[in-house]
Amino acid sequence: MDWVFLTELAINGALTGLLYSLFAIGLVLIYKASSVPNLAQGGLTMVGAYVVLALARDVGLPLWAAIPLAAVLMFGLGFGIERVALRRLAGRPVVMILMLTLGLDIFLRGTTLAIWGGTSRSMELGVSYEPLFLGDIFISRIHLVGAGVAIGLFVAFMLIFRSRTGIKLRAIADDYMASWSVGISVERGVGLSWALASVVAVAAGVIWGEIQGVDQALSLLLLKGLAVAVLGGLDSILGAVVAGIILGVVENVGADFLDPLVGGGSRELIVAAVLILTVMIRPHGLFGHHDIERV
Amino acid sequence: MQQKVEIQPILSMNSVEVLYDNVMLAIKGVSIQVPKGKMIALLGSNGAGKSTTLKAISGLLKAERGRVSRGEIKFEDTDITEMLAQKRVEMGICHVIEGRRVFEHLTPDENLTAAAPAGMSRSDLNGEKEKIYNYFPRLAERRNSLSGYLSGGEQQMLAIGRALVTQPSLLMLDEPSLGLAPFLVAEIFGILQKINQEQGMSVLLVEQNALAALEIVSEGYLIENGRVVMNASAEALKSNSDIQEFYLGGGEGTNFHNVKHYSRRKRWLS
Repeated sequence: MDWVFLTELAINGALTGLLYSLFAIGLVLIYKASSVPNLAQGGLTMVGAYVVLALARDVGLPLWAAIPLAAVLMFGLGFGIERVALRRLAGRPVVMILMLTLGLDIFLRGTTLAIWGGTSRSMELGVSYEPLFLGDIFISRIHLVGAGVAIGLFVAFMLIFRSRTGIKLRAIADDYMASWSVGISVERGVGLSWALASVVAVAAGVIWGEIQGVDQALSLLLLKGLAVAVLGGLDSILGAVVAGIILGVVENVGADFLDPLVGGGSRELIVAAVLILTVMIRPHGLFGHHDIERV
Repeated sequence: MQQKVEIQPILSMNSVEVLYDNVMLAIKGVSIQVPKGKMIALLGSNGAGKSTTLKAISGLLKAERGRVSRGEIKFEDTDITEMLAQKRVEMGICHVIEGRRVFEHLTPDENLTAAAPAGMSRSDLNGEKEKIYNYFPRLAERRNSLSGYLSGGEQQMLAIGRALVTQPSLLMLDEPSLGLAPFLVAEIFGILQKINQEQGMSVLLVEQNALAALEIVSEGYLIENGRVVMNASAEALKSNSDIQEFYLGGGEGTNFHNVKHYSRRKRWLS
C-alpha cells in the first residue's frame, strides 16, 4: 500500500469534492427557500460560464470585471425566472415546479447552443497549471482555488441564513401559506433564492469552465451536484460542503481500487451508488431536516 | 338584536361573495362589522364559510384560487377587497390560520423574527419579543428548541405570538381551540382577552367551540351555509335556545323522554 499516493488521491478527491459542493450550494439555496430541487441549476451554471465568456471575449472586458458583472446579470436573471415562470406556480404541487425547472434546463441548453454553438471554449482564468507540491503530494492549483471559493461562499451563506432575511427564507420553505399570513413576501423570497443561486452558478461555471471547458456538458454537473446535495441533506449548506468532500474522496479513492478490476468507468457507479444508498438508508441526508411528525 | 353602537367599525364587510375556482360559491353575501377594540366571534358548524370569510379579509384566498366576486371589504375606511395579502398585513390585519402552522424547522424565537415587519429595528423587535414572552411564559422557556416539537398548545401560542409581531390592529384567529385540552383553551382565550384589553386590539375569532368563545367576546355572528343567519350580543346568543341546542350542547332541561320524536331542524336555514 502506497500511503503517499493514497493521501494524494484523498486530498485531490476532497478538493474536487469541494468543487461539487460549490455547485451543490446553488441547489441547496433554492431548496432551502422553496422546497424545490432545482433541476435547472446545471443550465444556470453553464449560462453563468457563457455570460462571463461573452463579456470577456465578445465585449472585451478583463476577467476581473467580467465575472462580477456576470454575477450581477445572473442575479437579475434569477429574479426574472421567478417573476416570469415560477410566480404563477406558487402553491401548486411541487412536481409541477420540478417539471418547470427541467424544462428551463433544456431551454437554457438550447439557447446557449443557438447563440454560441456547441464547440468547447476555454475560460483562461490565468491560474497556472504548474503542479503544486506539498511534500510529495501533487495538488492542482485550480482545484485549490475552486475549493477556496466554495468555502468562502459557504461562510457567506451561513451568515446570510442567520440574518433576518435568511430566517424569512427558511420560513418560506417551511410553509408558504403561513408566510403569507404574516406578511412575508413569498414571491420576493423565492426570487431572491433563485438570484443567489444564479450568482453561485457563475462561480461554479467559471471554475468548472476552466477545468473542463465551457460547453453544454457543463449542465451535466447537475447529476453529481444532486448526489452531493442529497447526501448532505437537500436543505443544509454545511451538508453540501461535507457531503462534497466525502463524495470526492470516496469517488477518487474508490475509483482507484475499482477501475483496474472493472476496466474503468467506476466513478459514475460510485456516484450513483451514493445517491441511491442515501435515498434508501437516510432520505434526509447527513444534515438535512427530517419531516417533523408529532405523535 | 343588539343596537349598533356608535363605535366606528375597524372592519366592515358588505355582502361579500367568494368564488373558488370560478365555480364554487363558498360564502353568499356575508356582511360583518368589527367595532374598534372589540372582540367578535364568528360561529358556525363545519364548512359554513367561516374560514373563507377570514381568508377574504386577509387576502389569503388567492393562494387557494378563490376570489371575492361581489361586495366590498373595508378596513379603516380603505377598500381592501383587491389588495395583496402582504399589504393588508402592513396595514394591520393579521390572520392566524387554522391548524397552527408554525414554521416547524425554526425555533420559536426565529418564528417571531420571521414575522417582523420590514422596517422594524432590532431593538424594537427584541422588545416586541419580550412582550410576547411575557404573555406566553411557556414559549419563553422553549424559545430555542425546534418549533415542530412544541406541544399543540405551545404551537398555538406561538402562532398567536407570531401574528402579534406584525403589530396588527385587527387580529383574526381561525379555530385556535382546535384539538387543545379545555384548560389550554381557557388559558389562551384568557391571554387573548388580556391583549385585547391592554392593547385595544380588535379581535375576530372564528370558533366551533361556541361555549368558550361566547365567554370572551362581546358580540357574535352565526354563519350557516355561507350566510350570516344571526347577529347578536354574546349574552343574547348564549340565552338563545336554538344556539344552546345546536352549538352549546344540550340546552336547559330538554328531557328527551318527554319529547315527541320529530326531527328538529335549523329553522333559520330555509
